[in-house]
Amino acid sequence: MKAMAHKERIKFFFVIPGILWVLIFTIFPLLYSLRLSFFQARLGQDQTFIGMGNFQGAFSDYRFWNSLSITVFFVVVSVSLTVLLGLGLALLFNRPRRGLRFFRSSFVLPIFTAPIALGYLGLTIFHEDVGAVNVALRMLGVVNPPGWFHQVWAARLAITLVDVWQWTSFCFLVLLAGLQNLPEELYEAAQLDTSSGWGIFRHITLPLLAPVLFTVTILRLVETLKVLDIPFSMTSGGPGAATQTYSFYVYLVGLRNFNAGYASALAYILLLIMLFISSFFFNRLRAIYD
Amino acid sequence: MATKNAISSRERSERVAPNAAAIPPVAERRRKPLKITDGMIWVLIVVATLWVFFPFYWAITTSFKEHLAIVSQPGFIPWLQFRPTLLNWEREFVNRGPEIMSGLTNSGIIAIGAMIIACALGTLAGYGLARFRFHRWQNKDVTLWFLSQRFLPPMVTVIPFFLVMKFLRLLDNPIALIIANATFTMPFAVLIMRDAFKELPIELEESALVDGCSHFSAFWRIALPLAAPAIAAAAIISFAFSWNEFLFALILTYERARPMSVIIAGVEHTQGIQFEFVATRLLVAILPPALLALTVQRWIVRGLTFGAVKG
Amino acid sequence: MDKRVVTLVGLIALLSTMWFGGAAPTHQAGPVRATAAPTILGFPAATELEAKTAQAAFNAADKGKPDPAWKGKKFTIAVYSAGQRGAISGPLYFWRNKFTELTGATYDIVEIPFAELREKIYSDFTTSAYKYDVIINCSNWYGDAIANDWIQPIDKYFNEPRMPKWDRASIAPAVANLMKWGEHWYGTNNDHDAQVLYYRRDILSDPKWQAQFKQEMGRDMPVAMDTWEDVLEIAKFFNRKDWNGDGKPDNGISLHLKVGGQGFFHFMALSAPYVVTPYLGQPPTKVTKYHNVYWFDPETMEPLINSPGHVRALETLIALSKAGSPAMWGWSLGEAWADFLSGKSVLVFSWGDVGSLAEDPTQSKIAGKLGARGIPGTKQPYDLEKKQFLNLSKPNMVGNQVGCSWHPVLSKFAKNPDLAYYFMAWQATPPINHWNVYMGWTGVDPGTTYDWFPPAGKATIDEYVAGGYKADDAKSFIGAFTDNFYRYPIFQNYIRIPGTPEMMEVWDVHLSEAVTGQVSPKEALDRTYQDWQKIIDNIGRAKLLKLYQQSIGYTK
Repeated sequence: MKAMAHKERIKFFFVIPGILWVLIFTIFPLLYSLRLSFFQARLGQDQTFIGMGNFQGAFSDYRFWNSLSITVFFVVVSVSLTVLLGLGLALLFNRPRRGLRFFRSSFVLPIFTAPIALGYLGLTIFHEDVGAVNVALRMLGVVNPPGWFHQVWAARLAITLVDVWQWTSFCFLVLLAGLQNLPEELYEAAQLDTSSGWGIFRHITLPLLAPVLFTVTILRLVETLKVLDIPFSMTSGGPGAATQTYSFYVYLVGLRNFNAGYASALAYILLLIMLFISSFFFNRLRAIYD
Repeated sequence: MATKNAISSRERSERVAPNAAAIPPVAERRRKPLKITDGMIWVLIVVATLWVFFPFYWAITTSFKEHLAIVSQPGFIPWLQFRPTLLNWEREFVNRGPEIMSGLTNSGIIAIGAMIIACALGTLAGYGLARFRFHRWQNKDVTLWFLSQRFLPPMVTVIPFFLVMKFLRLLDNPIALIIANATFTMPFAVLIMRDAFKELPIELEESALVDGCSHFSAFWRIALPLAAPAIAAAAIISFAFSWNEFLFALILTYERARPMSVIIAGVEHTQGIQFEFVATRLLVAILPPALLALTVQRWIVRGLTFGAVKG
Repeated sequence: MDKRVVTLVGLIALLSTMWFGGAAPTHQAGPVRATAAPTILGFPAATELEAKTAQAAFNAADKGKPDPAWKGKKFTIAVYSAGQRGAISGPLYFWRNKFTELTGATYDIVEIPFAELREKIYSDFTTSAYKYDVIINCSNWYGDAIANDWIQPIDKYFNEPRMPKWDRASIAPAVANLMKWGEHWYGTNNDHDAQVLYYRRDILSDPKWQAQFKQEMGRDMPVAMDTWEDVLEIAKFFNRKDWNGDGKPDNGISLHLKVGGQGFFHFMALSAPYVVTPYLGQPPTKVTKYHNVYWFDPETMEPLINSPGHVRALETLIALSKAGSPAMWGWSLGEAWADFLSGKSVLVFSWGDVGSLAEDPTQSKIAGKLGARGIPGTKQPYDLEKKQFLNLSKPNMVGNQVGCSWHPVLSKFAKNPDLAYYFMAWQATPPINHWNVYMGWTGVDPGTTYDWFPPAGKATIDEYVAGGYKADDAKSFIGAFTDNFYRYPIFQNYIRIPGTPEMMEVWDVHLSEAVTGQVSPKEALDRTYQDWQKIIDNIGRAKLLKLYQQSIGYTK
């Protein structure tokens, strides 16, 4: 009995430090931000309470809508491309192959490259005249390769591609691990029923891999929604505001122009969007950690 | 040409097959129905490898190009297409050596500090979540709560965080960034360690408890050493993410505490962007996390997916 | 027990080795630096000549009487990050030893990434950190600095015997005004920014091209380029022709139009003659509701930015941007300059940096071929009063001082203000400032009478040649700046009210939208107008109006 009570007490010793740490360093900022979002608060000026003014202002601010739609584009393209490419690569490598270990190791490299540096490097890779991409495209016979930094959609694609490059290997590694964890017996059974590779992939591999695909997609989604470094260094949000992602816009409002109240409101809107999205997969995530 | 390739590589794979003892037989079977020849696969593998390595190759060649050459003439191959020069590296380390050095030192202090805090607290919490039941809180909800920190857009917290650090007089101090990064990478550590401890057989600890060991020493003496590879993975992930963090580093540091990610952003100035130094700094900055990542392979996938995928 | 300790210690040791392993190359930097950065005559100079001319400037400069009490003291200078041999920050490193020699004191240089400079300095003041004693600031920052009371006037030092004397009368008035607010001086002489038009002298004066131009266009090449319309025609003519003989088509003009790449300064310089018109009475420079204004209506603070004149100027800029590499819509300064300096475009309009970079063999292939002139005008400016375009026989020429004109100001909270001012004044003395100007790498652009050739000034070609210039290049380059600062009848106002940086940022975005064809020029400037109205209301219209009237010298 005494041991049980002791166990009840000691379990808190393990989790409380971590919980406290996170609480202290996120709850206060979160509450303070929430307060700021109801104020007109600029650098060197008195704060005035304006209720929902900042939030209302956001909905009539076309730069808000612009950055939101760019982020949606970025998220959709980047997540689907990374997951698809990662899946393709994983299927490709999911077979005995000499040097597999080498590939698996080296594919970790992009994940650990500083995105801020990648953005700047991207400027030279996508340089319209002498960048690697356009030189290669010209060699392949493309007469007018895209103007990566002045065409709206090309620029959006360019920042997305940098992100895709960085995170494809993440998806690859995770999906490869997922594939290798699949039970072999099922394949043997399937072998008897169907003969086509596509059939096996469609009816056996894919359903079995679904939880892993789900996890990968969620994790990617969460990270891409926050993207800032790449547009920051690569395009500064240009041409015009064509690559001004949501986080970058909040950065401009709050940290370049010190409009802290409005920036907090914008950031809270992003937080609400995140909460809304995660509510869809909350139960499935909860099941994973049961 | 393609046929010849296919044949030769099939021969090669047959030769290889006996050596590769770890191959599950199922893989062989899986390959046939897909009807993709080995040659095609090799081509795809080469393309994939080029895809991964090309930016690094580009960074390396760019770091040996002259300033004008980078933006005015295409060049993939040194000597053939452009005249390589050591000037950039020389300038970087002669003129800016102290700055780069201080950036690396700061990044190191910040990343290691954040890593130690995140791993220490994360390991404790992970153990708690794996071994005890929190009835009212529900273990899975506590776990999810930790994970949800990763969902929090940093933009929400950066302004108040700045004000707190100002109040604590920690601006331009690595401690501020250690705190920030420890908070951001804590979810990795908690979830990886929870997963790792769950996998360890509980019997060893139970028998130790029967022998009169305390809960803490059962954790400290038995579980912890066994979980060492997972700790290493958690450590490396939290190290790498802290090393590359940019937004908070930009806002919270001025001069003395500036880490490498902010030094990289210093390539942009009123005379434009100094592309040659982008390349040198990218290469310098990637070394520490990359070397670390290459050393511990096994737990990386599990770590990056918060234990959701075993790898 | 042992195992656990070994694991933990081993892990930390591993990580530390990795970290130091990663940092290894920089460990070598220490000794390398000591040997590879030798000083010549006490200067970290690149060449003997550089050191010798610098020493001569040092000897010639007024040194005041340094206070012995300064020995061992220190202050901190904030400057944007460009390194020890970089623009604006370079001279601070270059002269530091000599400063110590003079005063026994020294200073720390804090380099801040350009994109962060303003944010860092603002937050330094608003958080009462006061780390910086001297700030090498962009002139458009004054509004905020004065409104928040961050910097102190320096007039009190002018007659102090301890302080070096610098020549305020020698500074081009347009730039001198940027160092003042109202009656008081806040900044000391350093950099002088203005944009001029650079061109390839060898190509434009080539009879072969002139003949071909006549054949194609049916008239003589307007080599004087007095109007933007002429410039456009020349740019179009040369664009896509292989005029440099490398077998590939080359470009007409090179511009930097990328968001965040200071493209709005381009538009500022280009649009001035379309909008700013002289007062018809005397003096022509008098600021009225309709004359000599560019930014806002000086009575209502309503932005003028979407006036038909501004719109036509933007249409001209867009037309120009089509007469060069299409890639330039994504260029910032470095790429745009490189295009001109590597001999791929005939024209570029930009700051004085181009003039000095053109002479640097590591950065340029066009030394000896450089021509320059002041910013062109237009014969069809828009009259704000009559609300119509005029048709003039002579072009409307408007001088500019666009850019930052980086110069030091003294923080109100400076710890050793006297010592700090001593440094500012010493750097502002004619011999040292002039040396900084004619050395290209310093990024300090010309703007005083001792930078100009006679009759406007007293510099000699030989000085520039000693600084590495080709004589004809220097003549043309310096001549263009002299014209801009002294021969242009009227000037564009410099905007430096509070909120200026934010206004520039949204403007920059909308200009880029127009240039890349996302919206029409009119729409882009209408959007700017709306955003500016919002910013003005946000900061306080009455307060801004008063400061704006002060800053442009408007009185009813």
